[in-house]
Amino acid sequence: MAVSDTHIASLSVQTELRRKRQFKMLLFWGVFLAFAAWCVQGTIIEDTDWSRIGGRSGVWASIGRYIQIDWGLLPELLVPTIETFMMASVGTVLGCFFSLPVAWLGAANVTPSKTILYPVGRFLMVLSRSVHEIVWALIFVSAVGLGALPGILAIAMRSVGFISKITAEAIENIDAKPVEAIRATGGNEFQVMYYGILPQIYPVVLATVIFEWDINIRRSAVMGLVGAGGLGLLFFRQMNSFNYGGVTMVILAILLLIVLGEVISHYLRKAVI
Amino acid sequence: MSEQTSLSPQKPLRTWSRYSFPESLWSFGTLLAVLVFLTYSLYFLNIDVLMMLGALGKLVGVVADRFYPPDLAYITDPGYLASILDTLQMSFLGGIAGVFLAIPLAWFSAWNVTPNRRLFFPLGRFGVISCRAIHETIWTILFVSVLGFGMLAGVSALTMFCIGFAGKLFSDEIEAIDMGPVDAMRAAGANPFQVFLYAVVPQVRVAFTGIAIYTWDVAFRAATVVGFFGGGGMGWYLKRNVQQLENLRVGAIILSIIAMVLIAEFISGWLRSAVNRAK
Repeated sequence: MAVSDTHIASLSVQTELRRKRQFKMLLFWGVFLAFAAWCVQGTIIEDTDWSRIGGRSGVWASIGRYIQIDWGLLPELLVPTIETFMMASVGTVLGCFFSLPVAWLGAANVTPSKTILYPVGRFLMVLSRSVHEIVWALIFVSAVGLGALPGILAIAMRSVGFISKITAEAIENIDAKPVEAIRATGGNEFQVMYYGILPQIYPVVLATVIFEWDINIRRSAVMGLVGAGGLGLLFFRQMNSFNYGGVTMVILAILLLIVLGEVISHYLRKAVI
Repeated sequence: MSEQTSLSPQKPLRTWSRYSFPESLWSFGTLLAVLVFLTYSLYFLNIDVLMMLGALGKLVGVVADRFYPPDLAYITDPGYLASILDTLQMSFLGGIAGVFLAIPLAWFSAWNVTPNRRLFFPLGRFGVISCRAIHETIWTILFVSVLGFGMLAGVSALTMFCIGFAGKLFSDEIEAIDMGPVDAMRAAGANPFQVFLYAVVPQVRVAFTGIAIYTWDVAFRAATVVGFFGGGGMGWYLKRNVQQLENLRVGAIILSIIAMVLIAEFISGWLRSAVNRAK
């Protein structure tokens, strides 16, 4: 008798919990859908000038302009493609260079001062990631002028956040035993760093850098839109001269470069890990 | 005694080294090749190395000189605040549409549960890769030229961006599932759609929710600049002030972008940990 009573009691508690959870889910979806409806109202109904788009035929006509590919642009593509590739590579290496001190400050177990410099390191990581690469490029174009240099610097600054975050986490997760062993045999600070910490973090860091390099190729392809060089500049020129076939050609070059980068980074990461 | 002293000089003198011979050749050869390529790149791109290394100091000078003090009155203007709401709306809509379109593409492009390895797998892979390969700003320019200026173009561009971003993470997640339930469903004669719905979805539901929230976060970051190329939102104000050389206003806008992105990152982190706790 007593057993069945407790059984029924626990059953009713469970149904109560389930009802509460269902109510919560219902509330969540209600808020979600209301918010989505508000967004649709704001963007698609109020803000869009449908008559200017010109119906289905107008859209097809606009897309059709892109399909007649301008193969004549082919010889002009080679140099900007190489430039884009080089900008991404140099930018990634410079980004690694910048992220070393940031990772050192932002790793809790090796930071020189936990109260002041650790938050500074963390803040630099967030700052680097939260500013979009286009904005970084704008800032650097105004600082150092037009050309490939602001593109490289923008890519480097944007890469710092991700690389230093992963590096700092890797440093925080190292095994302390090799470090102690090297200290015990009389190694100095540099030897501890080089033989104790570096071999433990380097596969992770290298894989991250290769991954970031792969993303940076995409980023360097648009740096030209705001005044740095590469394929973006060619894209911008073709767009401004209304040569839509040329635009398609540039996009094809970008696609090819990125597939190439993805293949290279796939094999490199396999070799590292 | 005499034997011992005669033995000791026969011990080979070995200096310890981290790399042994063939490995050291490979690693140093790769390093050398990378260095040569980088040096040649600097030469090819015609870059002043001293200027490159001194650029950070110069950046501080430029920011202090031109962008400080930021014109904070400008970003509390109602028009600008409305544009922040526009950006939020665009990122939300783009995120939803992108995530919903990414789910079938991820299903097609996951090698272990794809409905058809010869037809659907390459189709899904190509869809995800081409969305990912083209940067969101290029998508924006293309959509603006087709759909005209405004938030519709921005939403479409963000949708493409989110398909690429979420599709890759989703398909990686699907490829890591436990194949037991899938095999069981297949053995019981389920069709690919039923396999996906009853064997795959329950395993990846929580991970997908986390990825979807993260996608919104990244989409918001991208949404702050789609306006720069005609997509509407905060970026439009950025472009206008950059072109008018109103540097103090530009500084204020960049500050507001950083603040909004930080808030978005905080919200997404909180939501993701809430989802993980509710699991």
